[in-house]
Amino acid sequence: MNLATYARRNLWRRKGRTILTILAVAVAVLIFAVIRTVVSAWNAGADQAASDRLATRHKVSITMQLPLNYSTQLREVPGIEASTWATWFGSKDPKERTPFFAGFAADHNTWFEVMDEMQVEPAALEEWKRTPNGAILGDVLARTLEVGVGDKLMITSDIYDGDWEFKVVGIYKPLRRTVDRNSMVFRWDYLNNDPRAEFAHDQIGWMMSRITDSTKSADVSRAIDKIFDEREDQTVTMSERAFQLSFLGAFAAVLTAFDLVSLVILLIMTLILANTIAMSVRERTHEYGILRAVGFRPGHILGFILGESVLLALIGGVVGVLLTLALINGVMGPYIEENMAGFFPYFQAPVVVMLQALGAAVLLGLVAGLFPAYRASSRKVTDALRRID
Amino acid sequence: MSEPSIVTLSGISKTFHRAKEPIHVLDKLDLDVPAGSFEALMGPSGSGKSTLLNIIAGLDRPTSGTVKIAGSDLTNMSDGALAKWRAATIGFVFQSFNLIPVLTAAQNVELPLLLTHLGGGERKKRVAIALKVVGLEDRMHHYPRQLSGGQEQRVAIARAIVNDPKIIVADEPTGDLDRKSADDVLTLLETLNKEQGKTIFMVTHDPAAAERAGVVRKLDKGALQ
Repeated sequence: MNLATYARRNLWRRKGRTILTILAVAVAVLIFAVIRTVVSAWNAGADQAASDRLATRHKVSITMQLPLNYSTQLREVPGIEASTWATWFGSKDPKERTPFFAGFAADHNTWFEVMDEMQVEPAALEEWKRTPNGAILGDVLARTLEVGVGDKLMITSDIYDGDWEFKVVGIYKPLRRTVDRNSMVFRWDYLNNDPRAEFAHDQIGWMMSRITDSTKSADVSRAIDKIFDEREDQTVTMSERAFQLSFLGAFAAVLTAFDLVSLVILLIMTLILANTIAMSVRERTHEYGILRAVGFRPGHILGFILGESVLLALIGGVVGVLLTLALINGVMGPYIEENMAGFFPYFQAPVVVMLQALGAAVLLGLVAGLFPAYRASSRKVTDALRRID
Repeated sequence: MSEPSIVTLSGISKTFHRAKEPIHVLDKLDLDVPAGSFEALMGPSGSGKSTLLNIIAGLDRPTSGTVKIAGSDLTNMSDGALAKWRAATIGFVFQSFNLIPVLTAAQNVELPLLLTHLGGGERKKRVAIALKVVGLEDRMHHYPRQLSGGQEQRVAIARAIVNDPKIIVADEPTGDLDRKSADDVLTLLETLNKEQGKTIFMVTHDPAAAERAGVVRKLDKGALQ
């Protein structure tokens, strides 16, 4: 036996109460971890953005277009290794098998060279270059739309009128887990040559460039924007990370609210734990008096109570983390990646979030035990011995 | 030649305050208890018996006066030093046994030894000896709920003697026991006093228990009669 034996045994004196408290802590940890996973997954695209890629868009808004010839001039900027461009299409499935997916028209000669985390078989790429209405899809989207290579695909747009017919020429393979597997890329010239897109003829949505030295991204960005500074359509160039974050900006308030909710959950967990520990300590006041009488010091009593509180929180935390892993990685993650890949291409519980949840549980276990532990340890021995609940 | 005093109280007074009203529990009390004696303290409820016992055991401090126990002056000892002193010098036997319900008999007896530097093997040896002294070596792995009241009190006595204290203080040790179990406990205390030379200071209401002590003192209204 050692001093920890007593703290450990005390934990199971009221089995029902202990189990309910562990479950309460576990549920709090589960909710905290799910919320943190949502926030983390939301930011994952930006977090994993390539550091050697820059995005250039219209200075006023991403919704405003740039002249096509900007793409040629941009390539002449020193430090640019390769560049490409794309235009947002606003794709919709007329059969409504999916409510929304990302579809965009891109330069078929350069897109997959610059966006190399989307890997396409060389044969498929050659076929794309030969097929004006060729489209390359992510595997999840292809499955949702029930099409394979060689199939025809009818898509509508909320920007361009009518039905648009494509031929699926390939399926891209994601080389990074944050790549959206629910998107479609087709040839920009197919869109540009169609009369229905006359209003945006020879215009592009944004440009992506790979630079030779990622440490000089700020200098290269300034150099790009300087070229177009005196033009009617001025540009703003930023890192790919900043570009992705600008899309998330509108949701910043929601994410902040999520963060606050996760903190409130932890506070509730602390109060539940503190209540349990306070009840246990109250019931054992006389017993702590006995221990003090036989020579245990206030520090020992403090240690017994804090040890019990932390152990309780740790067990609840571990149960919560296991539940989170089962729920997110086993149920939520696969479902969200299949059905909401546009927002969450990768939805799995990050190790860092699990560690945060466990760390928070332990820390708050300590905090929850502090007040009852202080009260019990500072009580006079004779007062404690008189107290029988 | 009489034994030197192991307990020397000089001019002890103790005053509590209840709702700002002072309550004088002990009044300039002097007491000498020779080493190796077995003394019983009797008196009506509220006479100050438990307060006096707590002061001798180093659990409480007098409002005024000096307390010298087993060669140590407790008057100005810090709380931490007092706790250490109690662990080494005093063995406690309480009325309601006060065993820890989640620990076995052996673990309850081992508790005071956890505060020493003894290794696990040596602790186990001492626990076995203490339980043998009280006749419960075959109950060492039983939990308190699996023991009778008399057995629980004997385990409590084993806990009180396991660290070989100089003094055993007993607060109504037979108060919760039937006559037979009470006799067994008193016989055990007598044995510890006679064969191991332990000084025993016992508070009791029970005249039969007091009869077993060598000296019976009476306390009334905070003063020894």
